[in-house]
Amino acid sequence: MKTIKLQRVLPRIFADRKSDISSDIWLSDVAFERGRSYLIEADSGKGKSSLCSYLYGQRNDYEGTILFDDSDISSLSLDEWSAIRRGSISILFQDLKLFAELTALENVEIKSQITHFSDRATIERRFEELGIADKLNTRIDRLSFGQQQRVALIRALSQPIDFLMLDEPISHLDERNSATMRDMILAEQRRQGFGIIATSIGRHIDMNYDKVLKL
Amino acid sequence: MKLIWKLLRQHISIGEFAVFVVAGIVGMLIMLTGVQLYSDIRPMLTGEKSLIGNDYMIVTKPVKRVGISSTNFSTDEVEAFRREEFVIDLGEFLSSQYEVYGSVMFNGRKLSTMMFFEAVDDKFVDVETDRWHFDGITSSIPIIIPRNYLNLYNFGFSQTQGLPQITEALIKSVELDIRLSGNGYSDHLPARVVGFSDRLNTILVPMEFMQWANERYADSSAKEVSRLIVEVKNPGAPEVMTYLDQMGYQAEEKAAESSKALFLLQVSVAVIIFIGLVFSILSIFILTLSIYLLIEKNSEKLRNLALICYTPQHIAKPYNLITASLNLAIFVVSIVATLLIRAKYLGYISEIFGIEVGGTALVAIVTGIILSVAITAFNVLIIRRKIRLISSKR
Repeated sequence: MKTIKLQRVLPRIFADRKSDISSDIWLSDVAFERGRSYLIEADSGKGKSSLCSYLYGQRNDYEGTILFDDSDISSLSLDEWSAIRRGSISILFQDLKLFAELTALENVEIKSQITHFSDRATIERRFEELGIADKLNTRIDRLSFGQQQRVALIRALSQPIDFLMLDEPISHLDERNSATMRDMILAEQRRQGFGIIATSIGRHIDMNYDKVLKL
Repeated sequence: MKLIWKLLRQHISIGEFAVFVVAGIVGMLIMLTGVQLYSDIRPMLTGEKSLIGNDYMIVTKPVKRVGISSTNFSTDEVEAFRREEFVIDLGEFLSSQYEVYGSVMFNGRKLSTMMFFEAVDDKFVDVETDRWHFDGITSSIPIIIPRNYLNLYNFGFSQTQGLPQITEALIKSVELDIRLSGNGYSDHLPARVVGFSDRLNTILVPMEFMQWANERYADSSAKEVSRLIVEVKNPGAPEVMTYLDQMGYQAEEKAAESSKALFLLQVSVAVIIFIGLVFSILSIFILTLSIYLLIEKNSEKLRNLALICYTPQHIAKPYNLITASLNLAIFVVSIVATLLIRAKYLGYISEIFGIEVGGTALVAIVTGIILSVAITAFNVLIIRRKIRLISSKR
């Protein structure tokens, strides 16, 4: 997938106050390109979660059109979405969506076993780089939210990616840890050449964004 | 698979699955035993060497008043009967239209009696003999008598009169002297009993002899048919009884009993299978409900699995595996139990009726496989629907 285009998209819940909308994204024509980095800044209540949900196929309560390489995503089937989530778009969820019953390693493996993308050594190296190597076999619900965020990132990187969506990725991380996380993302971006769409309502992950958009 | 199993096995209720398995086994066992019992017993009621009767009926018109009334079948009536759907074949009894006088030397004394002959197409004769033919006036007349006659003598008459019992072989060795007369002729011919019939309740001679004799000794050439032998597909079928009632015909008791027994068997088996079916449907219902509940309890996890790229097929796999194994367990237990029960009742049958039932348990096995596969397919379909629903929930 090379581009994601939004054409006059607006969440339906905003439909009755169209005239108040002043946004770089809603009701505009925007294109995200593979290989480039975008930061979307938003105050809360502006529909940041909605945007991620639309792009990831979780919701479709919007007006306008969203195109993946010129094909309208509103007609994608469940299986097509599974394929996209397996080999094209990856997301670091704001609420992480990890499985409490599984260990940190298992939480990554439950994905990598399906995508066959990251081997065990790569995964363990990433745990080490992010400073949670000692937590490999610890149940995820015994980790702090910051540690869980790092596990979720390792899981998100365990697949072929055209676009990586980061939904408030560093909300619970200190400067040092957010820097290592950024380095890992950028290294993987250099390797795979994916586009990055990061959102933020305050602190954002520190990198050279090609474009900053206001929601 | 191991991880997804670890994730989803929570909330599995052993109790619910146990109820499903028990209900499933009960239902499957009842159905399989029902069909197996039916397939084992049916040949005993309809086959050549049947327990009660067979697929042949002897049909007559009832005698309504003393004297000579017409109990003969007209050609039209016979043809109409032959055209009925349930009739496979139909034969007419041809009776002797001349005087028959039989005598036999017994203990140095000559015993004589008036008698009659009947003939029917050879294909209806249930006695295997190479002597069933007649070559003209110089040859001997082969005769078949009902086995009942011999039994009546051996078990009814001889014992009370202090007379010796006689064997079939002895009777076959005795030469009879038959005098045939009519139409100005009178001839003596030797005759011999060549067999005993369970099916034909008459003194039977070959058709070729009867035609020859009627031509030579009978005054008129009119053919009179007072009895019919009818081969039917299923004497238990209600339409057979209905037709007989409607036409005012009567079937000999033996065949009628057989058809009643067969009808009862069919009804009881249908009831048994229905009960089994109810149990099975109930068990499928329990499983469906319990899987629904399980999926519902895990719905958050299932949705998350879908979000991290699992397809509905991936997610459904562990559930499919559970139901397939449960259904396999039900099939194995039911089929083993059915075989044990079959061995038991076959033992009773051979003990009570002295009949060894051939055949195999293939009916139960094939039915079991078909049912299990169908039930599993149904389960898989339900799981698939439910999981797709959950995965696509936004």
